[in-house]
Amino acid sequence: MTSEKELIDREDLTAVMTLDQQRSVFKNIDLMVIPLIVLLFAGIFSFHFALTVGDWDYWVDWRDRRWWPLVTPLSLIVLPSVFGYLLWTRLRLPLAGTVSIISLALAAWVSRVMNFEVFAGFPLNMVSPSTFIALGLILDCVLLLTRSFFFTGFFGAFLFALLIYPLNWPLMAPFRVPVEYNGILVTVADLMGYEYIRTAMPEYVRIIEHSTLRTFGEAVTPLTAVFAGFLGILSYFFWTWIGHVASKAVWIKRIF
Amino acid sequence: MVKQNLQKEVPPSVPWRNLGVVLFFLLMLFGAYRYYQHATSFTVGLDYFEPEFQTYWMNLLYVQLVIEFIVFVSIVGYLIVTRDRNVMSITPQEELKRYYNLFGYVIVFSVIAYLAASLYTEADAAWHQVTVRDTDFTPTHIALFYFGIPTFIIVGTSAFVYAHTRLPQFHNRVSLPLALVIAGPIMIMPNLGFNEWGHTFFYAEELFAAPIHWGFVLLGWSAFAAGGFLIQALTRIIQLSRLPEEDLSLQK
Repeated sequence: MTSEKELIDREDLTAVMTLDQQRSVFKNIDLMVIPLIVLLFAGIFSFHFALTVGDWDYWVDWRDRRWWPLVTPLSLIVLPSVFGYLLWTRLRLPLAGTVSIISLALAAWVSRVMNFEVFAGFPLNMVSPSTFIALGLILDCVLLLTRSFFFTGFFGAFLFALLIYPLNWPLMAPFRVPVEYNGILVTVADLMGYEYIRTAMPEYVRIIEHSTLRTFGEAVTPLTAVFAGFLGILSYFFWTWIGHVASKAVWIKRIF
Repeated sequence: MVKQNLQKEVPPSVPWRNLGVVLFFLLMLFGAYRYYQHATSFTVGLDYFEPEFQTYWMNLLYVQLVIEFIVFVSIVGYLIVTRDRNVMSITPQEELKRYYNLFGYVIVFSVIAYLAASLYTEADAAWHQVTVRDTDFTPTHIALFYFGIPTFIIVGTSAFVYAHTRLPQFHNRVSLPLALVIAGPIMIMPNLGFNEWGHTFFYAEELFAAPIHWGFVLLGWSAFAAGGFLIQALTRIIQLSRLPEEDLSLQK
């Protein structure tokens, strides 16, 4: 069995002799690790986002006032929290939110065009992804300015979840225009949904606008946003702890 | 104990050409598969019980499963048979070169992670919103679960075996983060079985965010351990790239 002493003996060995060689190693590692991280973020985040948010972000008629502003930020905050712990504590880089969400955005755009428009034939303005990059920027900026997970959780994560609806309002507004269709008041988004029938169309499947106080004054959306903000705080702290656990360099003697 | 001769050892370079060749081959393979998927899914891929489906998709399934098994056994078997039996005596330059090779494996793993977990997965989402399903063998399932994920498993396992057969830090012990990262894709296959059983027997909807799919989310989270693996690898690379303090005349 390899002894600890053999490993400790190897710690003094070095593969470089000069400063140029050292810099060359650093450059090589950067050139390998940075694309690797972007691709991993794109893959993991896409997969996670697809299976937690999924249809809420795939279709413009699924972006309602109840579920989309709640589910989406809670799903989005996971990777920035998990990898934010690693990048901040080990590298002092407040980049996790920005990099992970940009990676997601790139992957999402490729997927929506290739899969939903080209492959399945849906119109692109029906399946375009929402915008989230600003949320990642806000989270990272709060971490940069406060240098504290505590304040980032309370303020950054709260803003992260709170602002998703106003951030996307310019994109969604044209699809919220009311129209009369067969005597019923619907939105342009609903009309697009009726034209492009999907398996997720029936009312018992489509999880939008499901709640009791749908006519809760004008506070439906702000109420959801603030609730999402508070849940975002809890999520941020939980997933940062998961990041702490996941970034441990653990060696075990055997698997079986 | 490795004796170091700082005067004569040349630092290694990254195997960019080999990496480029492998990535080019994989991108061509995934691209060609995708082209085939676009060309035949909505023409001959809608009805499992049509003879054309058997010709264009089920035959492809059988062939690709056989090829994947052969490739897996070949690569992993080769890595095990040619393992370094004197790994604790390699020079630091050789060790650094092997870390470059390991990162090459992980880059290929990441490319396939993106292709399988993003592009091919959401093709399945789009497919199911258009056609529901007739059986568990749809064109998008054959592409994702019987081509994309197995390729993912092959590369991931190869990276794991490479690290544990050629690097001193991984000798006679197991990197738990790397094991977790690889275990996730592997366990997707049994979870797929549960998922298809659920869709067949009681869960007719195809919402991607439905609870029946949350097993996949959990397994996707195994990739969070990539941070731990990076810490393990980069810690050693920092040691290997430390300038020799005792001989300052070698520094420019």
